[in-house]
Amino acid sequence: MKQLKSEEELLTGLSALYGARGYRRFRPGCFEDYSLYLDNIDFLISKKVITFSGAGGRLLALRPDMTLSVIRHVDPAGGTQKLFYTDRVYRRPADGDEFREVDQAGVEVIGDIDAACEAEVLLLACDTLAAVADDYIVDLSHMGYIEGLMSALGLTGGDKEEAYCYLRAKNMHDFKKFAKTRGIGGEGVEAFGRILSIGGDCRAAAAEMRACSLNEDMRSAAEELSGLVDMLCALGCGSAVNINFSIANSADYYNGVIFNGYAGGVPRRVLSGGRYDKLLSKMGRAGGAIGFALYIGELERYFRPDANSVSTVILYDDQSAPEALERSRALTAEGRSVRIARSLPEGIRYNEVQDLRRHP
Amino acid sequence: MINIALPKGRLGDKVYALLASAGYSCSSYDSSGRKLVFSDQQSGVSYFWVKPADVAVYVERGAADVGVVGKDILEETAPDVYELADLGMGKCTMCVAAAADWYDDTSRPLRVATKFVNVAKNYYREIGRDIEVIKLNGSIELAPILGMSDVIVDIVETGTTLKENDLKVYASIFPISARLVANKAAFKFKNGQIKKLVDSLSEAKR
Repeated sequence: MKQLKSEEELLTGLSALYGARGYRRFRPGCFEDYSLYLDNIDFLISKKVITFSGAGGRLLALRPDMTLSVIRHVDPAGGTQKLFYTDRVYRRPADGDEFREVDQAGVEVIGDIDAACEAEVLLLACDTLAAVADDYIVDLSHMGYIEGLMSALGLTGGDKEEAYCYLRAKNMHDFKKFAKTRGIGGEGVEAFGRILSIGGDCRAAAAEMRACSLNEDMRSAAEELSGLVDMLCALGCGSAVNINFSIANSADYYNGVIFNGYAGGVPRRVLSGGRYDKLLSKMGRAGGAIGFALYIGELERYFRPDANSVSTVILYDDQSAPEALERSRALTAEGRSVRIARSLPEGIRYNEVQDLRRHP
Repeated sequence: MINIALPKGRLGDKVYALLASAGYSCSSYDSSGRKLVFSDQQSGVSYFWVKPADVAVYVERGAADVGVVGKDILEETAPDVYELADLGMGKCTMCVAAAADWYDDTSRPLRVATKFVNVAKNYYREIGRDIEVIKLNGSIELAPILGMSDVIVDIVETGTTLKENDLKVYASIFPISARLVANKAAFKFKNGQIKKLVDSLSEAKR
């Protein structure tokens, strides 16, 4: 397993990677108006937000997400913008009660998005994961394809939501029972089952995706996704890319390709992203947008554990304190690590002890 | 090697028998002792016993690649896992039950005693009934008998316990059976192994 020295080392590497591809660093202020999140609450992974009254009485929030901040602060007249960030967000984990401060890195492109731009963002997602792990997988899906499927099955409202749940869980056995109660025909059930099973070799999966298309929306999404897969294969990322329609984000915000990234040894997704033109439009902006975020908090096992060790412990008393400081300085200049203490510290590992005390 | 979390108890034994017949036997398997982990290099499988309610936690957090868990637990805890197959075992029903002479006084919130707080909340939210949930950990049937709750939401297998306590089923919420679940990341990195397991299980069930 790859071992990274620290989060800082990873973030420095990622900043260099994004900067080298022409992405400009974006750093928003610490706080945002709470209304920014309230208006787009379903877009947030964690719906709870830390709020407080600002100096002028406005209700402010510690940001739970970076994408909304990026959209709000980007100049709509500035043409297509390619931005990256490495910053902190404040959210409640899915399996915990209390808010956490979480490091996040990501890229966002806002403006004219073409196929090459989508491929570049996906390539960056692959390169981001490669910076973290030796083995990684990017799952690709397409909101247009899934929405097309729901429409072909005649599902709307609550029924559509329920079908989404079966798709997300790859749960065909319960979908069959559900389909019976909703009068979905055999052809629809079969297509749902085939789509739910799509995976493995990405070119074969792309062919199966095209074959399963039931309407024009699905066909057009399948063509778009196939084109992306071809580009990624040509760029040498084919073996790390899967097509998997069990990732399905909110259709209110996402419209095109969506993706999740997994790193070997981490049980949950560590990266997620997609095309979110609808969010942009909801916020009164024209054009397209695509981006992803890397959840640094999920990568703990890749960071070298804090060994809590030094090479030398120097013990001192009142008389020997100046000598201890001088030795410490000399040893650290040689590249060694030193802790000076009045007595042997608890819970620390060390290679040697130099005792300068007169009466230990 | 594929790591499988089994629910300790009768269901776990039945599931193991099915897995063994599907080619995933383990020479050191023993459900009667205190040993919790069993591995078999030849079958490429490692089993561990966990409390039935914890199976989904082990799978969601990647300690197990796959596991077998009741639909009741999945509905209650909504873990972020793939639900790959219905094993058709451990069948029972999540029900609303109350005293045989009970009637619903809709002028006040319904007092619901249950172990399955989220299931109860979701069910009554869907039918638009205001409730007060009383969380209990066992002997749920006692609550309406002592007048602590109006109804209970609980698993009913044969209905014998209800009958013996003069309670009856008023509504079925959903059918329950054992489901094979998989960790989402493991499903990517061990895709071939997990798919083969699912196929072998479905063959063995026939």
